[in-house]
Amino acid sequence: MIKVQDLRKIFKVHRKQPGFAASVKSLFRRDWIDKVAVTGSTFEVNEGEIVGLIGANGAGKTTLVKMLSGIIHPTSGKAEVLGHVPWKREDAFRRQIALIMGQKAQLWWDLPGADCFELLREIYQIPPEQYRKTLAKLSEMLQIGDEMNIQLRRLSLGERMKMELIAALLHSPRVVYLDEPTIGLDITTQRSVRDFLLDYRQKNAPAMILTSHYMEDIERLCERIIIIREGEIVYDGSLDRVMREYAPYKQLRLNVHRSSTNPLNAASLEMMGKVVECDPGSLCLRVDRDKVPEVAAELLRKYSVIDLSIEDPEIGDTIERIMAGKADETR
Amino acid sequence: MSPSLFFHLVLVEAKKLMSYRVDFWITMVVALVVNLVILWALWEAIFAESGKELIGGWDLNGILAYGVMVFLTGRIVRGGDLQMSVATDIYDGALSRYLLYPRHYPFIKYAQQVGNILPDLFQSLMMGLVAIPLLGISTTADVTPISLLMAIPSILVAHLLFFLMSLTPQYIAFWADNVWSLSVMLRFVTMLLGGAMLPLTLFPESIQVGLHWLPFSYLFEFPTLVALGKIDLVTWLEGICYCLLWSLLIGLLSIPVWRRGDLRYTGVGI
Repeated sequence: MIKVQDLRKIFKVHRKQPGFAASVKSLFRRDWIDKVAVTGSTFEVNEGEIVGLIGANGAGKTTLVKMLSGIIHPTSGKAEVLGHVPWKREDAFRRQIALIMGQKAQLWWDLPGADCFELLREIYQIPPEQYRKTLAKLSEMLQIGDEMNIQLRRLSLGERMKMELIAALLHSPRVVYLDEPTIGLDITTQRSVRDFLLDYRQKNAPAMILTSHYMEDIERLCERIIIIREGEIVYDGSLDRVMREYAPYKQLRLNVHRSSTNPLNAASLEMMGKVVECDPGSLCLRVDRDKVPEVAAELLRKYSVIDLSIEDPEIGDTIERIMAGKADETR
Repeated sequence: MSPSLFFHLVLVEAKKLMSYRVDFWITMVVALVVNLVILWALWEAIFAESGKELIGGWDLNGILAYGVMVFLTGRIVRGGDLQMSVATDIYDGALSRYLLYPRHYPFIKYAQQVGNILPDLFQSLMMGLVAIPLLGISTTADVTPISLLMAIPSILVAHLLFFLMSLTPQYIAFWADNVWSLSVMLRFVTMLLGGAMLPLTLFPESIQVGLHWLPFSYLFEFPTLVALGKIDLVTWLEGICYCLLWSLLIGLLSIPVWRRGDLRYTGVGI
């Protein structure tokens, strides 16, 4: 459904030095620098797949989404969405896609949702019967009732986001781009938006690309993630694989009786794994995944154990390290 | 664009504007009172000082009628305050949402611009009902039902021309983020050379000849003269055709500017 090949985007950005003199100089002459936003991205997304696009601020996620939705033109490279080149903006393409931007309202601020939806029905030429059914279904899924008749600017952020979701999905798009759809929402609304998206995916099977800074969005919604660092894709694969590849260890936490004749000793434990914390009564040890049973048994045998837990590292921490380019340190 | 979508966009825009009730009434009352007072005080003084019966082919009541009528028609031709809307869409990235719709952006903006004139039309009608009876009888202007009917298409084509004339300069926002000053200058120039400030017959002869070959006079002076019964049927038809021709030329000019600008659009942020 979405095929991207060596897509690049370079912005020309005006560089302005600080100070009054520089401001005066910039009236006559400006310095421009190339800012590489996306560099050589290649990937594919299939029908019914939700792909999480993850990266730090300015990594190029939104630029990539803008190119794939046809809003901006790339500097070079190819992309095909539903058989169309997005930035040619053919009507047949635009009728089949939707973009939801959590940071930017797309509806008409001064109008109630109901009026906005009617207008979108006209814009997308949705048959009246299909429009009524889709609107009823989406409103029910998102639990929207009277709010539809209230001016959007008078609604809460969560209610507005629900309206944005309805508006974006009214024409039953086959490809949906979600750019930080849960940003700024409270936990309950975040959860209901996630549930809605999963439900929608199950019933309609669109291809979805989701960008988010919330790990819960990614964990709940995406089986596959693409990690971007400084415009470059550094990982494309399943969430499980990222843990296997970039966090090939588990953490063993151990509490022992302090009165034991055999207290914990960091030097003697180094052979089993990497000691993260160690004092006479407790230990945190990082151990290769395949050695965990063996090391746990050894610890239970050697020490007077009160409590032993085996933990997976936080997925958010792992991804954060990949984004920061520090993943190899823990590989 | 389908007619039903066009009318839908028109109505949505009108509803949006009329949802601000206080603004709607204040704009109307203040604009009308200020304009009437300035018109009357200025031309009364000029005629009294000059001691002439006619200036530029107008008597005092005629020129007051021109001032009132150009004010009322001008509001409709300019279509409220949408003049910066395209530049603002480019500047703050609101253009992105329109690029996603399977419709041409300039057509959507035009429909919105037409919607924007509905409140102005309503206001102009109400203001006309108050202001026109206050005007005295003139030997140089003759408002009749036929002249008012002929004025309607003249105002509509002038509105289209004004929209297209302000569209291309706003596309400059693709290159220079802020084109506010350009838009203000364009507004001033179109109002001055279009006859919104003074009848063009008051300009020197050479300038009048030059203006005849430019599109400005079709914006404000032409529909006003039509409404005041100063244009015969043939000249009226010619004027409508010239206005449409200018609209076509300026509309065609805007296409390559849009195409070049579109390549530079960033949608705000990276």
